[in-house]
Amino acid sequence: VIGWLGAGHKPDSVVSRLDARAKLLATGGYVGAVLLAPVRPLWAAAALAALLVVAAAMGRITIRTAGMRLLALALIIGAPFALSRLGSDETRHAGEIFAVKSALIAAAFLVLTATTRTEDMLDAMAQTPLLSGLSGLAALMLRGAHVLIGEVIRTNRAWALRAPGASWMTKVHGLGVASISLLGRAAVRSERIGAAMVLRGFTGSLPAAELGRPRLRDVAVASVFATICLAIGVTARWG
Amino acid sequence: VTGRTHDALTKARELALAGMLGALGLLLPIGFHMLGWGGKVFLPMHLPVLVAGFLLSPGTAAAVAVVTPLLSSVLTGMPPLAPPVALLMVIELAVKATAASVLYRRWRLPMWFVLPLVLVLDLVVLAAAAAVAADFFVIAAAPTTYVLATAALSWPGMLLQLIALPLAVKTIESRVPRLAAERQRS
Repeated sequence: VIGWLGAGHKPDSVVSRLDARAKLLATGGYVGAVLLAPVRPLWAAAALAALLVVAAAMGRITIRTAGMRLLALALIIGAPFALSRLGSDETRHAGEIFAVKSALIAAAFLVLTATTRTEDMLDAMAQTPLLSGLSGLAALMLRGAHVLIGEVIRTNRAWALRAPGASWMTKVHGLGVASISLLGRAAVRSERIGAAMVLRGFTGSLPAAELGRPRLRDVAVASVFATICLAIGVTARWG
Repeated sequence: VTGRTHDALTKARELALAGMLGALGLLLPIGFHMLGWGGKVFLPMHLPVLVAGFLLSPGTAAAVAVVTPLLSSVLTGMPPLAPPVALLMVIELAVKATAASVLYRRWRLPMWFVLPLVLVLDLVVLAAAAAVAADFFVIAAAPTTYVLATAALSWPGMLLQLIALPLAVKTIESRVPRLAAERQRS
């Protein structure tokens, strides 16, 4: 994913020169508007798509780049949509909502990733308190999953050696005991991991690059874009 | 150990435990699916997230509750993002874990009182979240029907939580006495 982010990035466009945090703000507003706006009547989705086309043109994203990226999503979005056409009216409507909203959100991320360097985006995310904390926790979870899978494999091997051909009841009982024991082991293991983190220099906060304050002009442009998008979404839903 | 190192160690241990419990939240549903036991019936993801609620600070417990279903959805496709089951679970688990942490660790209320209360709160939050989601996405069933169907389907999971959770929390607190001592101090 990291390799894919920012691939084909062109640094010479107006959108590329905007601060990455401002672009994340604009993308957040756009995604919020897409979730808010109903698919029928079509004007809101069409207006949001038009805004995206303007942003893509200003970001000098070629039709070829957009096509290559969105083609990969055609199956993921297209197959459920095609299947939904076979169902009831309600299913068809749900399929339309899924397809239109997924395509718009995917296209918004395409514009973001094609106009932003990967490093800038990761730095911007690391500077955002909530995002950096959640992504750090997700990384710890994945590491923990590897550790626990190792524990499960070792427990399973020992179990097979101790009780080959055990009955179903014995297996269920063993699974229950092993699960509780795994919780205990996970807790004890986390104590050691915590100590190791401090020994390696963990100070209580996740490391992040110093980016400085974003330019006011960039934040203003992103805020205007996000506000327009949200106004479309709100008007379409409640207007 | 200086004060700053102690603070760092406390945060590191909390993060590491959050990571381990979140990892269990990813692995337990996979194990249940492999055994052919449905996730909607036994609610395997709820167990470690709720344990995190009983053992970690409210903020960290809420973070575990937010990240676990989303990461599981990205890695395994379950719970699905569309229809927005994963998003409903984020809200449900976040409220459950935060409430458990505040009631058990901050206010030091007993486990036998907190656990049933959190399970009832779960159904109330689920009804509210389903009502909001039904407005934004297309969910055919009314919120009350959705909650009643969920409760009727997942009562074994709720029973499992009532039995296994106190056992799991006590096991961990006995293996890591620091956690029980911190609760007494808070």
